[in-house]
Amino acid sequence: MSTIALKGEHWDGHTHGDGINHRHHKIRHKHGEGSSIDFYAYASNIRDWNPAFKVSLSMLTLVLSIVLNNPYVSLAVIVAMGYLTIIEGGLSIQAYLSILMIPISFILLGTITIGIDFSTQPIGQYNLHLGFFYVFTSLAKLKIMFFLMLKVFAAISAMEMMSLSTPSSEIISVMQRVHVPKLFTELMNLIYRYIFILIDVNIKMRNSANSRLGFCDIKTSWYTFGKIASNLLIVSFKKANAYYDAMEARCYDGDLIFLEEDKKVTTLQIAKAAVFVSFLMLLWGFTR
Amino acid sequence: MNIKEKGFFISITAISLLFGILPVANAMHIMEGYLPVGYCIAWGAICIPFLVVGYLSIKKTIAANRKSITLFAMAGAFVFVLSSLKIPSVTGSCSHMTGTGLGAILFGPAAVSILGIIVLIFQAILLAHGGLTTLGANTFSMAIAGPFVTYGIYKLCQLLKVNKYVGIFLAASIGDLFTYCVTSAELALAYPSATGGVLASALKFLAVFAPTQLPLAIIEGILTVVIIMGLETYAKPELTKIGFFGGNK
Repeated sequence: MSTIALKGEHWDGHTHGDGINHRHHKIRHKHGEGSSIDFYAYASNIRDWNPAFKVSLSMLTLVLSIVLNNPYVSLAVIVAMGYLTIIEGGLSIQAYLSILMIPISFILLGTITIGIDFSTQPIGQYNLHLGFFYVFTSLAKLKIMFFLMLKVFAAISAMEMMSLSTPSSEIISVMQRVHVPKLFTELMNLIYRYIFILIDVNIKMRNSANSRLGFCDIKTSWYTFGKIASNLLIVSFKKANAYYDAMEARCYDGDLIFLEEDKKVTTLQIAKAAVFVSFLMLLWGFTR
Repeated sequence: MNIKEKGFFISITAISLLFGILPVANAMHIMEGYLPVGYCIAWGAICIPFLVVGYLSIKKTIAANRKSITLFAMAGAFVFVLSSLKIPSVTGSCSHMTGTGLGAILFGPAAVSILGIIVLIFQAILLAHGGLTTLGANTFSMAIAGPFVTYGIYKLCQLLKVNKYVGIFLAASIGDLFTYCVTSAELALAYPSATGGVLASALKFLAVFAPTQLPLAIIEGILTVVIIMGLETYAKPELTKIGFFGGNK
């Protein structure tokens, strides 16, 4: 599970203050793009598009790329979603690629596992003798592996189009509109806000533990980790009480109501989306 | 097999070993787009009864005490943040707790199923980990199967009067291992091996992820014990309020 960009997390002593440093973008597997995805969503140029439109376009593309299961469709989706996020949304290409690379270790491990097989007999197109058994694969298997990777990247880019342009609170309000149970969306709204509060608390605890040599060796580090985690829970309980009182002081009677900006969807956008979806279907029809 | 093919094969094996040795272990979220459509829907459907039970139990608690809604929300946020903390490790690599095991011990498995699915949605949206189509499968392995086993073992150890900390350690680490086994099984069902079928494929996935997941399960167990010890020292009143000490006496 990946981590959020916790600024106090660098072991080599340099800690960024409270501001998130967005300049370190190298394309590699990285832990620490978390709050930056949220940051990018707010900074995106296509944030003022209607959230329901973005969410449904992204979900439709996501489902299509999985249902159609076709490498050409996957390629088209990767290109189109990249275009929307980078050119329309104005996200830097390094940032986009580094976010796409977050799950790379799982993808490599997972697809390699699907691609290869073990056997006691030297079968298959290519095989390798490893002591007691053979590892083997075939060209067809490798092709499946490659197409699967394409499909995964298509799906990720479709989802990222949504999460890199729509702040979570807007995604939640779309969920509310499709009648996800109210308690569920309320909890989501609260959790979304509390996450950032707790991350903040954690950074401060971590920095103060670090400045008192709390991470000097591995045993101390584990103790510190445990103590930070348990204190985090205590602090969160205390804050939970205070926030409830604050909500009640502002006339909370069982309904959380948030201000929503009214964003119109234009006919042109819908037309473009319709063209894109039918293009995907046609592409699938021709290359089936 | 010629030299080129051999080289290719050795490099693939080397890559997979390399990734195995460096525990860049995420808690094995199945990625977006990884499962075929049928499996996405099927796992989602399997989760529904558990989620309904969890939803109703949370609803009941909140109806009885309106104030607990912020407590539940904080618990969810806590699980999210806990799972995003980097575990201190010798090699400086990044590994993370699942956090749902601790959640199940503290809040009960039913509530954790709902909090877990919300945490998984946020992990997909905010961290690009896991995905929305694979939400069902991930929810089943991480927010349902793991927590229920953790809770079961925790209660069993209480019944058998095992030392409390040993019980918590066992519960958290076995729950973690179970999550990993379930995820492997989910992957194997979707991608059975050509020669050995689902079972062989499951063994393959178990083997590939074992080097990262086995140490992680032990670490998760140790850290859960350390966290609970800290909570007992500092937060007895709060823990009593959520009923943690209720079953212990």
